[in-house]
Amino acid sequence: MGESKFGSVMVVGGGIAGIQASLDLAGLGYYVYLIEKAGSIGGAMAQLDKTFPTNDCAI
Amino acid sequence: MGKETFEPRIIGFLCNWCCYAAADSAGVARFQYPPNIRTIRIMCTGRMDPLFIIDAFSVGTDGVFVGG
Amino acid sequence: MGNFTARVRREPRYIDLGLCTACGICANYCPVIIGDAYNENLALTKGPHRDYVQAVPASFYIDPAACLYLNHETCQICVSACQAKAINFYEQEETVDLEVGAVILAPGFGRISEEVLSTYGYGRLADVVTGMEFERLTSASGPTMGKIIRPSDGQHAHRIAFLQCIGSRDVSCGNGYCSSVCCMYAVKEAVVAKEHDPDIEISIFYMDMRTQGKEFDYARLRAKEKGVRFVRSRVAGVQENGNALEISYVNEAGKHLKESFDMVVLPEGLESPGDAQSLARAAGIDLNHYHFCSTGSFVPLQTTRPGIFVSGAFQGPKDVPESVTDASGAAALAAEALKMVRGSRVESKEYPAEIDIGQAPRIGVFVCSCGTNVGGVVDVKAVADYAASLDDVVFADMNLFSCAQNTQEAITEKISENRLNRVVVAACTPRTHEPLFQETLKNAGLNPCLFEMANIRDHCSWVHAAVPAEATEKSKDLVRMAVAKARRLEPLPEQKLPVTHKAALVIGGGMAGMTAALSIAGQGFDCFLVEESGELGGNLRHIRFMLSGEDPRKILQDTEERVRSNPHIHVYTNSSVEDVSGYVGNFVASIRTPEGHENLEHGVIVVATGGKPYEPKQYLYGKSTQVVTQGELEERLSDSDEAKRINNVVMIQCVGSRGQDLPYCSKICCGQAVKNALKILELNPSANITVLYRDMRTYGFMEDYYQLAREKGVIFVHFDKESPPEVTEKGGRIQVEFVDKILDERVILEPDLLAISVGIVPSRVEALSKILKIPLTGDGFFLEAHPKLRPVEFTVDGVYLCGLAHGPKPISESIVQATAAAGKACIPLAKGYVTVDPIVSSIDPDSCIGCGICESLCPYAAIKMIKVGKKKKAETISASCKGCGICAAHCPTLAIYMGGFTNEQILSQIRAFGEEL
Repeated sequence: MGESKFGSVMVVGGGIAGIQASLDLAGLGYYVYLIEKAGSIGGAMAQLDKTFPTNDCAI
Repeated sequence: MGKETFEPRIIGFLCNWCCYAAADSAGVARFQYPPNIRTIRIMCTGRMDPLFIIDAFSVGTDGVFVGG
Repeated sequence: MGNFTARVRREPRYIDLGLCTACGICANYCPVIIGDAYNENLALTKGPHRDYVQAVPASFYIDPAACLYLNHETCQICVSACQAKAINFYEQEETVDLEVGAVILAPGFGRISEEVLSTYGYGRLADVVTGMEFERLTSASGPTMGKIIRPSDGQHAHRIAFLQCIGSRDVSCGNGYCSSVCCMYAVKEAVVAKEHDPDIEISIFYMDMRTQGKEFDYARLRAKEKGVRFVRSRVAGVQENGNALEISYVNEAGKHLKESFDMVVLPEGLESPGDAQSLARAAGIDLNHYHFCSTGSFVPLQTTRPGIFVSGAFQGPKDVPESVTDASGAAALAAEALKMVRGSRVESKEYPAEIDIGQAPRIGVFVCSCGTNVGGVVDVKAVADYAASLDDVVFADMNLFSCAQNTQEAITEKISENRLNRVVVAACTPRTHEPLFQETLKNAGLNPCLFEMANIRDHCSWVHAAVPAEATEKSKDLVRMAVAKARRLEPLPEQKLPVTHKAALVIGGGMAGMTAALSIAGQGFDCFLVEESGELGGNLRHIRFMLSGEDPRKILQDTEERVRSNPHIHVYTNSSVEDVSGYVGNFVASIRTPEGHENLEHGVIVVATGGKPYEPKQYLYGKSTQVVTQGELEERLSDSDEAKRINNVVMIQCVGSRGQDLPYCSKICCGQAVKNALKILELNPSANITVLYRDMRTYGFMEDYYQLAREKGVIFVHFDKESPPEVTEKGGRIQVEFVDKILDERVILEPDLLAISVGIVPSRVEALSKILKIPLTGDGFFLEAHPKLRPVEFTVDGVYLCGLAHGPKPISESIVQATAAAGKACIPLAKGYVTVDPIVSSIDPDSCIGCGICESLCPYAAIKMIKVGKKKKAETISASCKGCGICAAHCPTLAIYMGGFTNEQILSQIRAFGEEL
């Protein structure tokens, strides 16, 4: 088998891509470490007022 | 005018996913609106049975707001 | 691979996450005022702050650069101000080593430097703002509450110019690539600004309007209808002219013009992350020449180091839906790498057994002050006293912060002390806090459905701040209504439905379908791959070479080989899906195969039915042998002898796309034209190539090749939709006539070959759309559950989408989507069960008359008609139900019961409202 594998994943960055990856990994059965530099997750999307093209609320 | 002003009492049925959320956002943004509405959360305005509206008027509601 | 150690440095927040109640008193007392980075420094905040109201985690943190104590050991006012004793200046930086099996890099993007922005007056002229600054200005929760005002004088801006390609498509600043998102967000901001004030005049100065995404051109056209002006031009500079900003530009006819505006917006592009290089060093991966993550067209989510994957804008500039898709795809790849150790590190929580709640309601009411958020307006004590006076309320109290950890524990104690069997919390919104309180109920041995919230903050104190007496009355009414509902709450079981068939059905055997099948199989599940034609590979069979240099034929061969040899994948060619019954976890598909019919049992479905080239009739196609499609040209170019004889070529873009037969942009044709043009020049450097285009949409790193084609002498000429080129035949030779706007005259070319760039049309999928109850867009592509946040899912649970069936896109994007769909599809398979929210509908078979109205109205295909004896009866498929209640509202015999939203519960709320009228 060689070296053993860990059933955990580190996600670097807590913007929408990092959040989504973390949620999916948890759903798939992996322990997730989500690492974010800022004081809260959300990244650039949290700063957006609306999203194109439907003008849905971003937050 | 003073106390004689008509203050309608309104009941609101708000969809959890849009209008209820929008009312939350209005709060977050501190939008000020008149305090005449009392809200009931439903999971979708598709849940609205005409019965609810009739019942609301029968208990003396002045207006029914459905937001979804 | 599978075995990494990551060293992570954790910086102190100086405010304890567990103790902080996010009341904000620390910020009120802190004397240090700093710029609010979340609002792009257009607003102010304090040393202790949170980035925004909805921030996660919700707790505040202290900016160490601003703090007087951390820098000068003075102040500490916040320490005594904090009632929760959450401030902790002893917190130290920590270094932790994490053992992980895989890594996903999603650091996002960096900002275009101020030096680049300063070329357009930014920093020097106050009313030149960035796109993100403008975004905050348009936001209702932003620094100006959505008013578009000039930073210089606070006056409303009436004439606004947007200058596109800031820090993008600009080799002078080192960013030759296109940032792919700026056109969209400029259009969005323009529309939002016009919604705030319809009199605002907005001009967008652009080179090419790159709104190539799904449904994006419609939004651009709507913006045009709303009066947003689009000017095709690159702006040279911005000057101050009295009170206004003057921009100089060259129009399409080559004329120099000047125009004045109140405000200039620079919708800046996406830069590689500022710390890309140090991150790359730490992770041991390569970057591309723009310092984004290095990947390949056919392995778009893999870094150069096995086991480390990438998602989001670090992979290349991209928008939200593509980032979300990347994320699901990267998760799938990590899951493939770690399939043997799935579940090995996951912990699950145990709850005490549910107590018997007896008959009579014993309701507890907790009224929250939320610091001063509620308590500052509403008389919380009066509301709690009022609650105590209501029937069946055996306990009522007020809390400073109901959501705080210690209050949760106190509520648990009060539940057992007072033998409460229903709990009402009057506080903020159930949309964010209901799950937290339901968790508290579970910890106290109560069924989570015995909980109800009254929203006295978001719907009351925050919006009626000026009328405290009325707000208090409203709070009482809301509490009375919540108590009325609570009386009728019943415990509902948390259902878990098993996923019986741990296999997937993938419909369509093109590159998307094969990729999805390989990933599902790679995660350890069986997969049925059903393809209508006789062979796998779809459109990839016709691709001979790639812009990025890979050999598509070899990749196709290799992929097909991996599919055919994978023991988990069962391939059915010349086969089609005739019917599908069941629901997520338990589907049965009936497929027609050359041998007859077969039933396949599976838990999830991936739709990858693809698309095909539009069949043109325009421009003498089919009439003259000189007219070929780009695909046919590509085929010819793979025979280099023939290609060397091609000397004069004209290409026409958007044939069938963007307004002729197909209203949408086909996204791939611009890249295809550039690819073929470069190939021709590679084989015959003296060839003359003219490309007639509407907007060159070579977004992302593809822009490099567009740039290269221009350097190599390919001539690109723009035409408007209203005056397309004309193609005629004279004496057996074709002539292409078009207007050259710079020369302002009609030009006639007589090429050897006319290559027309035809769009993409969806496969015929109307029948499948009906079988699976999955909707189509007006353009005939499948409509995903949510364009931003659920791009590869359908509203029907257990059904996923990828590839051209979703919309036109290049192969690398199809591969990402397919991997993402595979990741999503494997979630129910990996869990082995589907959780059903207790709010789902249930149907009383005795009252049901089998009319079928509910079945026809259900948007989630969650009701099926079954035969009970000789009668038809409706039955809810709980796994698919979303609890919307459309069925219940339309049932003529009131046979449908909605968990947590029964007729009785809603009517009791209405009547409780009426009691005090």
